[in-house]
Amino acid sequence: MSPNILEVTGLEKHFGGVHVTCNINFTMQEGEQAAIIGPNGAGKSTFMNLLTGYHRPDAGKVMFAGREITGLPPHRVVRRGISRAFQVSSIFARMTVRENVRAAVQAQMRATFRLFASGHSLGAEETERVLAMCGLAGKRDLVAGELAQGDKKRLELAIALAGKPRLLFLDEPTAGMSIDEARSTMELVDRLNRELTLTVLFTEHDMGIVFNHARRLTLLHRGEIILEGTPGEVRADATAQKIYLGEHHL
Amino acid sequence: MTANAKRTGPLSRLYAKFGISGPVTPVLLAAAIGVPWLPGEFWTHVGTEVLILGLFAMSFNLLYGYMGQISFGHAAFFGVGAYATAMLFTALKGADGQIGVADFLLSLLVGPPVAALTALFVGFFCVRLTGIYFAILTLAFGELLFYIVFSWYSFTKGDDGIQGLLPPPFFQDSTNFYFFTLAIVVVAAAAMWRITESPFGYAMRTLRDNQRRAAFLGTNVRAHMLANFVIAGAFAGVAGALWGPFSRSVNPTLLGWGESGIAVFMTLIGGAGSFIGPMLGSVIYTMLQAVVKMYTVYWPLTIGTIILLIVLFAPGGILGMIDKRVQATRARDGAAEAEAAAAARAEAPRP
Repeated sequence: MSPNILEVTGLEKHFGGVHVTCNINFTMQEGEQAAIIGPNGAGKSTFMNLLTGYHRPDAGKVMFAGREITGLPPHRVVRRGISRAFQVSSIFARMTVRENVRAAVQAQMRATFRLFASGHSLGAEETERVLAMCGLAGKRDLVAGELAQGDKKRLELAIALAGKPRLLFLDEPTAGMSIDEARSTMELVDRLNRELTLTVLFTEHDMGIVFNHARRLTLLHRGEIILEGTPGEVRADATAQKIYLGEHHL
Repeated sequence: MTANAKRTGPLSRLYAKFGISGPVTPVLLAAAIGVPWLPGEFWTHVGTEVLILGLFAMSFNLLYGYMGQISFGHAAFFGVGAYATAMLFTALKGADGQIGVADFLLSLLVGPPVAALTALFVGFFCVRLTGIYFAILTLAFGELLFYIVFSWYSFTKGDDGIQGLLPPPFFQDSTNFYFFTLAIVVVAAAAMWRITESPFGYAMRTLRDNQRRAAFLGTNVRAHMLANFVIAGAFAGVAGALWGPFSRSVNPTLLGWGESGIAVFMTLIGGAGSFIGPMLGSVIYTMLQAVVKMYTVYWPLTIGTIILLIVLFAPGGILGMIDKRVQATRARDGAAEAEAAAAARAEAPRP
């Protein structure tokens, strides 16, 4: 059995009087591909924000690859080997597609304090590799802010992958994509998970994608974990039907 | 055919490689070299001012155009650099008021590091904020430093300023001093260009476009902002160091918000989106000021109107406006060419 790459114990977060994360215990094994599901406002994005240092938890502990990362700022969490892609694409709008990915590659190389190196050639090969992998090679010279929604989401994923993560969080990776784009994106995620044993945790509203691409599901409701299990177990569970899946006409 | 010819010209190739700064920079440089051949010393004098203030504005644009933060206190580093040089200059010059060439150069060298250290101190606080809060805090620090220089009589000579900064005989000739300034400005601009095209420069652009995401690339946002703040301060210090020997004196207003505003104006006029924009802004601002002041006292009214027109009708500055036109033309030519090629293919006899 592979070791736990991620161990979350007793995670808590309040915003004012609202309890958005209640005593969450959660583990992931290296090479796993899992999904978090739940209705809007269940605390899925907050959970990812807590794990990546965007919010500080009020209580609890987050261990990554055997070391504690609780409360570390995002840039230090990222340097340990965690990347994330955002739900609403969060790219560098005035830079070209290639510059977006190259900046991420150079940050991963820890080269961003090199004042007199060439920003064009450093990491250029890796940049081309990531662009080709994400199907963006033909769009490398376009300004990122002018891309179509689906391409923005693909760039979002490319930026996350340029960080060479061991653990990748994807917040609704296919939102705004066409059916074909969504399929090819998730095929890419599957391939990375299989070939590079990249551990992937994603949230998704499309239950077809969730059941086809996650081997384990965690159902979140009002900040609490209601249920964990395989897609089959979750599909069969009455509570899950009532809280969430019912909305999705399964 | 014409489109093709246009696209293979040297300026067009420079555009393709370096953007709008590519073709504009050599034109500006050629013009700069020609200035001393204009009749009379007046334009050489104005040209020196264009270069020094242009360098100051370009250093400001490292913060504004590349990092996305506007500083209303950038003149503090220009002024501190000017004072550091002026004070060492005064200490080194002889009783007869003359200074040796080596001592003169030494006094110039002290400006940038002192400006950089000041920027390190001020930046430590300012990079904790962004947007309007960053702008206001830089303004506050700028005014604070202005007031210290203004009122610390025993150390800075207060509102009297420091006079008698007469450079060595060779540099008293306006043409010689002009070319000396041009050389320093070209070297400083080349260094800044290199920095803006480095991984650090691209990290700055990520901070400008999306700070949150930049942090999720593993970039330490504050450390990078602080480094850039110090670099911008150091280059403002280079410009400041040249100012004293150029105008033969320094005074506290060099640190004030009015002086900071000059960098902002120049950058807005020329265009913050391009590397050379602020220098073009300085050409327009400084030369226009020289001419307008010959005829009227209404210079603030004139520049106010110009800024108003720029902000309303050319928000990217003059180079931003030109760049937009060039891009549109190139896109149209590209489309026309593709169409012509398609037509040629359709007409060609099939094998």
